[in-house]
Amino acid sequence: MINAEHLTKRYGSRLAVDDVSFNCRPGRVTGFLGPNGAGKSTVMRMLCALTAPSTGRSLVLGHPFRELRNPGHQVGVLLDASAQHGGRTGREMLSVSAQLMRLPAGRVRQIVDHVGLTAREADARTRTYSLGMRQRLGLAHALLGDPQVLILDEPANGLDPAGIRWMRGLLRSFADAGGTVLLSSHLLHEVEAMADDLVIIGNGRILAQGSADQLLAVPGTRVQSLDNDGLLAELIAAGHAADATSDGVSTGASVVDVGRIALAGGIVLIDLRPAEAFGLEELFFDMTAQHGRDEVAA
Amino acid sequence: MSILTAPAQRLEPAVRQSVEEHGIPFARLCLVELRKQIDTRAGLWLLIVIGLVNTGLIVLTLTTAPPAELTWANLTNAASMGQLVLLPLIGVMAATSEWSQRTALTSFALEPRRTRVNLAKLASAGVLGLIVMSLTLVAGALMNVIGIVFRGGDGSWAMDWPVLGGAALALLILVAQGVAFGLALLSTPIAIVAYLALPTVWTILTLFISGLAEPARWLDLNVTLLPIMLGAEVSATGWAQLATSVAVWVGLPLLVGLWRTARRDVA
Repeated sequence: MINAEHLTKRYGSRLAVDDVSFNCRPGRVTGFLGPNGAGKSTVMRMLCALTAPSTGRSLVLGHPFRELRNPGHQVGVLLDASAQHGGRTGREMLSVSAQLMRLPAGRVRQIVDHVGLTAREADARTRTYSLGMRQRLGLAHALLGDPQVLILDEPANGLDPAGIRWMRGLLRSFADAGGTVLLSSHLLHEVEAMADDLVIIGNGRILAQGSADQLLAVPGTRVQSLDNDGLLAELIAAGHAADATSDGVSTGASVVDVGRIALAGGIVLIDLRPAEAFGLEELFFDMTAQHGRDEVAA
Repeated sequence: MSILTAPAQRLEPAVRQSVEEHGIPFARLCLVELRKQIDTRAGLWLLIVIGLVNTGLIVLTLTTAPPAELTWANLTNAASMGQLVLLPLIGVMAATSEWSQRTALTSFALEPRRTRVNLAKLASAGVLGLIVMSLTLVAGALMNVIGIVFRGGDGSWAMDWPVLGGAALALLILVAQGVAFGLALLSTPIAIVAYLALPTVWTILTLFISGLAEPARWLDLNVTLLPIMLGAEVSATGWAQLATSVAVWVGLPLLVGLWRTARRDVA
């Protein structure tokens, strides 16, 4: 459970995060989506008490993060996979945290295996790691204390397609076991594939939030017939929104309704299909177009 | 790398239960901070260099000093210079590396009470100083035996405890100064240069500007530490002068550092 309540962060006169509120529920993966510089990382750092909000507050598992005792057992955090001491080995980095959390001896090896790092890779200094290996190490660190909540900033960044598929499975099973996952990304397809809920942010403000199904569902039908004008008139007469397109009719009516109306009107359909789902991509670009980096640069 | 989709392996329920709810004990925090000071390449090499410098000094004494001066106390003393100069740098790095290597992102996500983490760094750096000091005693003893056997040395086992205690106290103060400078400046190179240069510049200034001679007796650690390191009888004024200089050179940067790191945004 994560609750962000009116989080606002001001750097001088610049509002980096502006009145951001959302909830992440157990059993669900929440995708935190926005272009670079939208304020995702700042929000996530505020959730973990690493950055103090100017106003507003946030709760993790019902408590402010700062009040969690031994939080590694409750919240797995990966905010920047590159933020590792380059002179430490991956295994040592995990062992230090395991000692701090007082985890049993075999836990580090178990988790190293789980994220798919070889023993040899784990024993190398993190300076030599590729970004993908750093992400796996960071994820291992987040999972180490067997937490109920995961907060992951761009965890799929630097992973190859197989790695992304692997991570999707891992987060899915974590959520299915009752865990709460918040992951950010600026890559739409990653989130589209992984998230149950979406929070879309641009220029520090929340632009949309809700279940992915709900945000992605675009009702409607595209249809071609031998009498497009007649069909258009019948649809409007039946109380549906409808427009003529270059080669047919676009309407808010369902496929079934369009079929029935055409049958009743004796109109021959030659093509009938649901309007293509918008896809998160268009939603994303629509919503962030005026809020993206272009404007910031101007 | 394999593709796994199995659920994350859960901890045994018994293990979960044994994990205390009321936070990480300070002693464990100190142990972990101690480990972090010596498990990096930089930390390890600093310790190795301290060992080499001490060995060099002790061998020099062993081979060149008159046999009558080859005692446990003298050999231990000769070997103590390395840590006095170099061990505070481990203190500096303990404080700065969290920020320069950005491990603060993970450290403070595991223990959000930052001042507690910083105090554990301070305590563990002191413990490391005492461990190194003890090892020096052992090395001094070994060399004393070698002195007896090969150079017909005096070989006295009488330890000059005031000198040793003074050296240990001086080491603790300097290590604390290293941690304090690290916390206040949060950059390894800047903190190391400041730690090494500022007190020296101050000492040089006091030598050239006669008006500073009197304040220096209260405010120059190099001056105020001298009596205790020589094992001399320290007067009440001497202790007051030491306390004043420690407050300025250790206490002040430590407070600035604790205040700064407690509120700083971690990025």
